[in-house]
Amino acid sequence: MANTFQLRVVSLDGVQFTGAVQSVSCRAIDGDLAILAQHRNYITAVGMGTAVIVTEDGTEKRAACIGGMLSMIDNQCSLIVTTWEWDSEIDVDRAERAKERAEDALRDLNISEKDYKLASARLRRALVRLNTAG
Amino acid sequence: MAQNMKAVKLRMKSIQSTRQITNAMGLVAASKLRKAKDKADAALPAFKILRRTLNNIADSNKDFTSPYTRPGRSGKWCFAVIAGDRGLAGGYNANLFRYVAARTEGKDCVFLPIGNKAVEYYTKRGAAMADRQFSEAADISISECFDIARYLCEKFKEGEFGHIALCYTEFENMLTMKTKDIPVLPLSDFAGEQDEDEETVRRIIEYKPGPEEVFNAIVPEYVSNIVYSAVCESLASELAARRNAMDAATKNAEEILEKLELSYNRARQASITQEITEIVAGASD
Repeated sequence: MANTFQLRVVSLDGVQFTGAVQSVSCRAIDGDLAILAQHRNYITAVGMGTAVIVTEDGTEKRAACIGGMLSMIDNQCSLIVTTWEWDSEIDVDRAERAKERAEDALRDLNISEKDYKLASARLRRALVRLNTAG
Repeated sequence: MAQNMKAVKLRMKSIQSTRQITNAMGLVAASKLRKAKDKADAALPAFKILRRTLNNIADSNKDFTSPYTRPGRSGKWCFAVIAGDRGLAGGYNANLFRYVAARTEGKDCVFLPIGNKAVEYYTKRGAAMADRQFSEAADISISECFDIARYLCEKFKEGEFGHIALCYTEFENMLTMKTKDIPVLPLSDFAGEQDEDEETVRRIIEYKPGPEEVFNAIVPEYVSNIVYSAVCESLASELAARRNAMDAATKNAEEILEKLELSYNRARQASITQEITEIVAGASD
């Protein structure tokens, strides 16, 4: 099929997905993007956000995708990410708890800069997970 | 004679308990190894693909410069050395250090030890060390790898190190582990090494938002990825080495026990014979 392309999603926990897809969208460092077949050769860095894959038969798969790079070279797309969690795998309770903990930490006004960065990164990750799952 | 028997018995006891310990250590290493191996296997594809992709980028792009692709400004090398946390793993740590010593000879270099044994080794030697806080290789997390990566990238950009390489032990199978070093930064260090089956085509690639930004975002990611994979591999190698060493030790203990058993029996027999001789001699009087 002309309007599909090969996608490969690899994270540090192993190969998460390979196969023909119609589109893939995710959040790059400068905003959301979607890749369709025959996209020109393209490389970007991936930020934190929900990634959506539309497979060959039109089903939509969602995942929380955090950090990495996306490359589209010769109609072959590789998404290499630090963590990748399918929406069905996300532990909502845990993400909820992580969110609350991070919010509590951020409420503290005497927080050090390093802790502030850590807590806000945690909060963002928890929010991405919750958004993806819910 | 009786004294001799007692001494042999004592030795046998001590060897038996040593055997028990080495046997247990071997079993623990074997079960941990399975987990470590799975982790290393899982991280491998990401590592390979990322490396190949970056290779391609570095190869087909000569039209922009990022601080990471330029050859380093200083001649100084930084070697991140990944060793084990504990000893008793056969030649695992010693092999690695010997290899590193051979590779770094004549180079002006600084070490970044990862793993307790590496920290100890370079502290004892008084070698120049970049940082010694990473003394736990066994349960290193992805975020710690990020810390290491950020640190390395920062120093590289500042020009403190001109080259960064990573030394670790590659796990091939249960019996073979290979010490290896791979160049990490600058990217031009490994731009030449291409997979043979892959043709080098110069492609025009669009970088969004721009090559610099993409590189600056991806490279720390890539470095942490390398560090993480290498640590996983090293851990699997360490456990395999320990298992082999412990297996050998257990086998050796069994051999010694067998020999001692023999000499114990011989001593016992001798003492019985002597006793009989004494009784017979006494009776004939």
